[in-house]
Amino acid sequence: MPVPWIRPLRSALVSAFAGACILLGFALPAWQCATGSKSLQPGFDPDAPPAQYLSEYGFFAGEAMALAPAAGVLPYELVSPLFSDYAEKTRFVYLPPGTQAAYHQQEAFDFPVGTALVKTFWYPREDGQKHLVETRLLLKRKDGWDALPYRWNEAGTEAELALAGARLTVKPSVPGMDLEAFDYVIPNKNQCKGCHSVSGKFAPIGPKARNLNRRLDYGSGAVNQLDYWQQAGILSGLPEPSARPALADYADASQQLNERAIAYLEINCGHCHRPEGPANTSGLHLTSLENDPAHLGFCKSPVAAGKGSGGLRYDIHPGQPDSSILLYRMQQQDPGVRMPELGRQLLHKEGVALIREWIASLPGDCLMP
Amino acid sequence: MLSPACSSRLLPLLAVFFFTATFFSCTNTANEGPIAAEGFTEELLMERLISAVPGQVIMLGEGEFRFTRSLSLDGIPGVTLAGAGADKTILSFTGQTDGAEGLLITADSFTVRDLAVLDAAGDAIKVKDGKAVTIQRVRVAWSGGPKAANGAYGLYPVGCKGVLIEDCEVSDASDAGIYVGQSENIVVRNNLVHHNVAGIEIENSFFAEVYGNTCTENTGGILVFDLPELPIKNGHHVQIFKNEVHNNNFPNFAPEGNMVGIVPAGTGVLVMATRDVDVYDNKISNHQSFSAAVVSYLINQKPYSDPAYDPFPDRISLRNNIIERQPGAGPDSTRALGVLLATLFKGDTPEILVDGIVPPDRALTICIQDNPGTRIATLDAANGYAGLHLDPSPYACTVDPATP
Repeated sequence: MPVPWIRPLRSALVSAFAGACILLGFALPAWQCATGSKSLQPGFDPDAPPAQYLSEYGFFAGEAMALAPAAGVLPYELVSPLFSDYAEKTRFVYLPPGTQAAYHQQEAFDFPVGTALVKTFWYPREDGQKHLVETRLLLKRKDGWDALPYRWNEAGTEAELALAGARLTVKPSVPGMDLEAFDYVIPNKNQCKGCHSVSGKFAPIGPKARNLNRRLDYGSGAVNQLDYWQQAGILSGLPEPSARPALADYADASQQLNERAIAYLEINCGHCHRPEGPANTSGLHLTSLENDPAHLGFCKSPVAAGKGSGGLRYDIHPGQPDSSILLYRMQQQDPGVRMPELGRQLLHKEGVALIREWIASLPGDCLMP
Repeated sequence: MLSPACSSRLLPLLAVFFFTATFFSCTNTANEGPIAAEGFTEELLMERLISAVPGQVIMLGEGEFRFTRSLSLDGIPGVTLAGAGADKTILSFTGQTDGAEGLLITADSFTVRDLAVLDAAGDAIKVKDGKAVTIQRVRVAWSGGPKAANGAYGLYPVGCKGVLIEDCEVSDASDAGIYVGQSENIVVRNNLVHHNVAGIEIENSFFAEVYGNTCTENTGGILVFDLPELPIKNGHHVQIFKNEVHNNNFPNFAPEGNMVGIVPAGTGVLVMATRDVDVYDNKISNHQSFSAAVVSYLINQKPYSDPAYDPFPDRISLRNNIIERQPGAGPDSTRALGVLLATLFKGDTPEILVDGIVPPDRALTICIQDNPGTRIATLDAANGYAGLHLDPSPYACTVDPATP
């Protein structure tokens, strides 16, 4: 039942460029012509329905495979990223010219209407090329964020809107790991909100101060991302460096074990497991802001875990990783048991090892008060 | 021809019923015929749910509809998902590889009716934070029968305001067939629940009426629980009346660690913590462990730290029930509570149990009267059962009717 979308002006422009290219005799697919054109400014009309093709937004410069941001689009990285089946992720942020995001100490920054967060999931291929899988867009409209999954074609030349998500077989080629082919799942639009929800409203997860507070090389030496955002004029209200929070990098073994473990739990679990999140009815809050050991899962009995308990009594049993439901569920593949519920088909070996080491290091036991 | 979408005219009635007025007219509702099972792909229904307009009725025809991923509805109010009958329209999740529920609903004024959800990887139908949820004539089962590997809950509204569950049949859930948690204004009526660990469970909820249900062949028939360390707790005002609660002697198959794992096979009605619970006019028969019990959360001996949580049952009324014991059979020796009962009562457990654990600073009101031919045991569980007695006189009282 295709709804007759009113094509936005942007698609018309893309078509026009494509048409011009063809007329001029370039033997290029329309997208290359369009995205390769300097004339296509990145962005979108906040009132227009989603574009059918990713190229219509103009977020990439040149060949898509290069994953290079267009002028006016900034790359960014997180201190500790979410595990996504060993996919590599390339993140861009775009704000309409002349607009700014407002800094927030704990939550995602308050972005202006017209902002786009662009996250592309890909795997390295054995031939050195990239296997582009999907690009997830978060578009800030007048009434809030809109989540749109786009699925790349085999050639990695164009991605098409996939509101209902998709499943495809991927054989990841990860250095040092021998991974079997598996069913990669592109989440559907509703599943996006399964993680991106704060008090029932759609919210970004990554662009928070504590996730962005790290250095990144924009081409002329590494600088702090928050400083760069401020200098680029897209962030207001940034406090002094000493007042900015920072999550630990869970992959950095030189940092404190406790901070690494909490960082891992926050970025992998804390978007749902927080008082305002979709998993709040569990009473388990896995964020760096949680101070109550019971809500962090220490000696906490499960509420509605069902078979997810694995026959174990406590979410985290200090000193006893193999008696801890949290670690059990990180290692399971049954969709009714595994955690996170969405976006993980493979076991994250390094994450499991980290949480195991952390729980083993915790003192105390679970006794009646 | 009347548009099927116009059955959404019924929604205002429900909305008024639940005092959560959300009004939808029939305008802007596309008139689409039922989706046919033939040639069906799961993406089709998923796309319909994503692009639904408020008040839309999505109809499914007869036949089997197969899914490998969760179905979900988010944020669009007033949507109805309707089949052609609980035995005719089958949503099968056999072999589901993605998503922890069959249906996950995060939207207001949602109705699901006249269909079956089979073999979900986790919970069959979960509704989170919805207002005015209606589930009617829905069947939920796992085709392998009762197993620990089945989903925890069949019908699972949580954090909802306004819940109506009626004329449904739920079996094989590894926790509760019908579970309403952290919700308020709840009606659960005229359902058949069997071969679940718990038939019906009302947990951390306010203002619930559970009546006209048949609960049979579960481990426990009806549970009213309140648990600590949850955002919504200290549940109150739960009425359990005119239910048929029979033969709930099925071996407990809940995975250990779950609260419901403590329930011994042969449990009729179990009230734990919670206040203002009124259990009346029920028929409760043939339970091998006990017919009805009123206990505090402390009896579990599970650690918790939640100063705002009240672990004690209070203002409980258990009256005018017809209670018959299972002749001959002893309590379930696979659960600590069953072993305890066997030890304390040597095979002749009284029909009604009260744990007798009381707070140091106040008296609890627990009234148990007019349940003909029953005995009441007070266990004195906090003192090593030293003060165990069968004196009914502490319970000869009445609680003001718990009217929502």
